[in-house]
Amino acid sequence: MMKTTWIKWSISAVGGLVITGCATYPDQAATRQLAEKMVFEAFEASPAHMKRLEQDKSQQICSKIGDAKPGQEDSAEIVRLARASIRYPASGQLSGDWKAGDRLAHDGAGDRIRNGKTEANKENGALCQNCHALAPGEINVGNVGPPLTGYGKQRGNSEAIVKYTYEKIYNAWVYFPCSNMPRLGATGHLTPEQVTHMVAYLLDPQSPINK
Amino acid sequence: MKILPSPCLVLGAALCLATATTALAQGNDLSVGRKMLMEDNPGELWIDQGKTLFMQKRGPKNVSLEQCDFGFGPGKLEGAAARLPRYFADTDRVEDLESRLLTCMTTLQGFDRKELIKKAISPAASSGSDMEALALYVTSRSNGMKVNVALNHQKEYDMYKAGEYLFYRRSGQTDFGCVQCHGEADKRIRLQDLVHMTSKQGAQEVASTWPAYRGAHYVVRTMQWRLNDCVWQMRLPDLKYATDYSIALTMFLNRQGNDAVMQAPGFKR
Ligand code: HEC
Ligand code: HEC
Repeated sequence: MMKTTWIKWSISAVGGLVITGCATYPDQAATRQLAEKMVFEAFEASPAHMKRLEQDKSQQICSKIGDAKPGQEDSAEIVRLARASIRYPASGQLSGDWKAGDRLAHDGAGDRIRNGKTEANKENGALCQNCHALAPGEINVGNVGPPLTGYGKQRGNSEAIVKYTYEKIYNAWVYFPCSNMPRLGATGHLTPEQVTHMVAYLLDPQSPINK
Repeated sequence: MKILPSPCLVLGAALCLATATTALAQGNDLSVGRKMLMEDNPGELWIDQGKTLFMQKRGPKNVSLEQCDFGFGPGKLEGAAARLPRYFADTDRVEDLESRLLTCMTTLQGFDRKELIKKAISPAASSGSDMEALALYVTSRSNGMKVNVALNHQKEYDMYKAGEYLFYRRSGQTDFGCVQCHGEADKRIRLQDLVHMTSKQGAQEVASTWPAYRGAHYVVRTMQWRLNDCVWQMRLPDLKYATDYSIALTMFLNRQGNDAVMQAPGFKR
């Protein structure tokens, strides 16, 4: 009798102390569960807008903590999913209007949400200027991605280059799993037609980017 | 039958002791920090405004914020902000500066939480909100002291790890997590320099300069405002004020920024 009470007491005392005395990092699964709950409690949004918080398979794989890169298997999965995501324009023409592309490349707006309302733009900007140097001499450009200045001049515009460029812009992860470049077509930020304009902007010899 | 003291217990106690000592070794002179401020930072004007608001008897209960406990006991402000976010037993939560202010303004002064939140972030070029001025005043009382965010309570560990996870979490049509813009040195979005937050120096800049005077808006802005703006660019929905999401990210960044010398208000573009 005495003995069992003593043991019970000791165990609960140790248990209690362990909670305060041995606080430590939660494991991965616990962290994930807690943090995911935080995400879905943190935003004020309609059900349609809440969907933006959900991760697809590729985003889950590409959210590794620290410098961890996706392994071989993960990379293969990303490339497979990226390939499957690509849609081509109804016309079958992968290169569109470079002037429309020029305008879109410099447009960083579209689909942002404030007070529950999405920006009232006719179409989304393509965001390229935020991350890439574009035509020679442009100063207000980002450097998250490599310069695209002279992109077409260096590569020509063979069918293979047109196809590569279309796919790269539509889903950058086909060629570089988990890169910092958004999968602009695949996530629906840009339409296939818009992507064709971006291709023309990068490859047309008349485009300012190749001057 | 013999129950050996768990190694975990011994280790835990030793760790707690270690963190407690570093905490005590803090303490410093306010004037040092004052001198370090940029001489012509207009944000300094908000410090006095915040101080007045802090001392004034306000709210339905007509009391000042002098009894608010920011972690070192009621009314003890020196160095308190440099240790936030931290766990508070009275709310059983980890709170950052802005959520702690909300707690005190509702429990001590009797203000309505919803109303406070509605006005917390002021319009650009306005005279600023009470929350912005208060947050700056409380932070300024840590100027010259070192950022020292500690992990002791289990909820602090949890919050820190959640913040780390969220920093790397990609979602939405731009596939952005925080790390896509803040994970490398010398990067820019258009001409805007991006702080490299996965470096010690970058995290220290974040941890020590908010609230900050924002030149483009002519007002003092808080960390919550900054997070709202980044989340907006990420195409995510409206971030609610002072949720665990913001607290976790702040906990992660501030702890990475430990040992930076506090110098609020920062001066931002
Ligand atoms: C958030 C930043 C970001 C945005 C926005 C962005 N990119 Fe990129 N881009 C990158 C990064 C980072 C790379 C390098 C990694 C890679 O190849 O995926 C890159 C690579 C590229 C490449 C491959 C370069 C090469 O030499 O093969 C092309 C082409 C490109 N981007 C075009 C575009 C176009 C066109 C747009 C606008 C429609 C755009 N990017 C928008 C970040 C961005
Ligand atoms: C699309 C790029 C982008 C993403 C993604 C992004 N930010 Fe930012 N962030 C910026 C820009 C731009 C600035 C402001 C730079 C300026 O004002 O010059 C900024 C500034 C900040 C600052 C202030 C730095 C300082 O002390 O001056 C903090 C803190 C911050 N971001 C945190 C975050 C967090 C946390 C996330 C993820 C939830 C995030 N950002 C995601 C672009 C981004």
